[in-house]
Amino acid sequence: MIDNFALGLTHCLMLLAAWRLLSRPDLGDDDAPPGPRRTWFRKDA
Amino acid sequence: MRDLAFVGFLAGLLALGIRRPFLFVLAYIYVDTVSPQRLSYFLLNSIPLSLIIALLAMGGWAIADRKDQLSFSLRQGLLLVLLAYAGMTTLYADFPVDALEKWDWAWKTVVFAIFLPFTLRTKLRIEAVLLFLTLSAASIIIVGGIKTALGGGGYGVLNLMVDNNSGLYESSTISTVAIALIPIILWLTLFGTIFKPDWRVKAFAGGLIFACLLMPIGTEARTGLVCIALLGVLMLRDVKRRFLFMAGAGLLGLAAIPFLPHSFSNRMETIQGFQADESAGTRLAVWAWTWDYAQAHPFGGGFGAYRSNHIQVQTVNTQSNGDVQVVTTATQADEARAYHSAYFEMLGEQGFPGLFLFLLINAIGLVRMEMIRRRYRRREGDEAWIAPLATALQHFQLIYMTGELFVGIAYQSFGWLAFATAIGFDAWLARRERAERKAGAGFAPQAAVPV
Repeated sequence: MIDNFALGLTHCLMLLAAWRLLSRPDLGDDDAPPGPRRTWFRKDA
Repeated sequence: MRDLAFVGFLAGLLALGIRRPFLFVLAYIYVDTVSPQRLSYFLLNSIPLSLIIALLAMGGWAIADRKDQLSFSLRQGLLLVLLAYAGMTTLYADFPVDALEKWDWAWKTVVFAIFLPFTLRTKLRIEAVLLFLTLSAASIIIVGGIKTALGGGGYGVLNLMVDNNSGLYESSTISTVAIALIPIILWLTLFGTIFKPDWRVKAFAGGLIFACLLMPIGTEARTGLVCIALLGVLMLRDVKRRFLFMAGAGLLGLAAIPFLPHSFSNRMETIQGFQADESAGTRLAVWAWTWDYAQAHPFGGGFGAYRSNHIQVQTVNTQSNGDVQVVTTATQADEARAYHSAYFEMLGEQGFPGLFLFLLINAIGLVRMEMIRRRYRRREGDEAWIAPLATALQHFQLIYMTGELFVGIAYQSFGWLAFATAIGFDAWLARRERAERKAGAGFAPQAAVPV
């Protein structure tokens, strides 16, 4: 019960963090203008 | 059921990685820290998960990441030398089979520590790595924290989900890591952008820090108590009202004593009366043996060289009975005892050259973070996060290195991943300063070369 609670909480947060990173252009470029990017396996140029 | 949840989580993370390959690096950090293959009963435990994700991370970087302005720091070079040297000691190891077994995972740890800084090209990536390191460790720390609070702690008793005593699931290791992580958690709470600081982030961070502080109590690892003391001293460097902080910390410590389990107080008292404690006596005897061994084998005996030790431990126990003091001594023989210290582990296995490299890499890291900390201390606005991050990474390293005095975790990957993040942060800052200078902004007054 405790194990599953801790694992569930932290894993959900990690997945949420990964999801949020998808829509962050500054993941690949500090100076990128804000806004969503849609391409898959794109070059982080 | 848990197996399926792990598979679903990893599949989701890897699917997102197809869109942004940097997420493979985060997936590797997760797998390396949590070891989901050890928590599952089928599926994941039958495939070389760590290797597959490491290849994805490196492949993703090779194919899809920018390589311009890539720099190779002195510390990465020294890690490469350490890797080659450790490989050499494996060839002539005292115990070739055991040495190969350790080499099999140790080289991957060092290689990934050399690789990680290349991927940290943006501020957000540095933050993401620190967040994944924190949340990955949190999945073990929260379990330990809750079980301790509910009274399930005890030396060698606290159940951290797996039976085997390796990686972060080892009690002294998780105690050290939990305390060392606190400065990083605090930084994420103040400057995080993935989870922006709001009441939810602060509540989670507060709970997590509390769980971190409970880890040494739950595991009854004396190393953790030493780390907490150091954390308190280090935090004095940056708090505004030092006396108030000291008084508050003192009061909190005193208030906590009645709530500590009796077995914990007894065990912590052995820090002072270590002569009566077999575990501490064994440690001192192994260190003495290792020092003598290094005189005879200055280039080290390869991984697992401790297996040849035969030690005798004398314990002295003094008990008062009215006016009479009864002193009892006992001698116990032991053999093949592990180093119980990363520094003696290095000395015994890689000899003086290995220990020198290990200390040099760590020392450069500490000095570089101190330089950044001082240079950016008064910066505000966009740069306000830089000095606090240098401080957090330096404090992580100092606490971790203190824990390493008593735990043989010289090749533990969690520490190396955090050190590698500091290398990447340093290189990122150097690139930024170069760009600013080129643009003529006069931003950086000093030469910036990643070390």
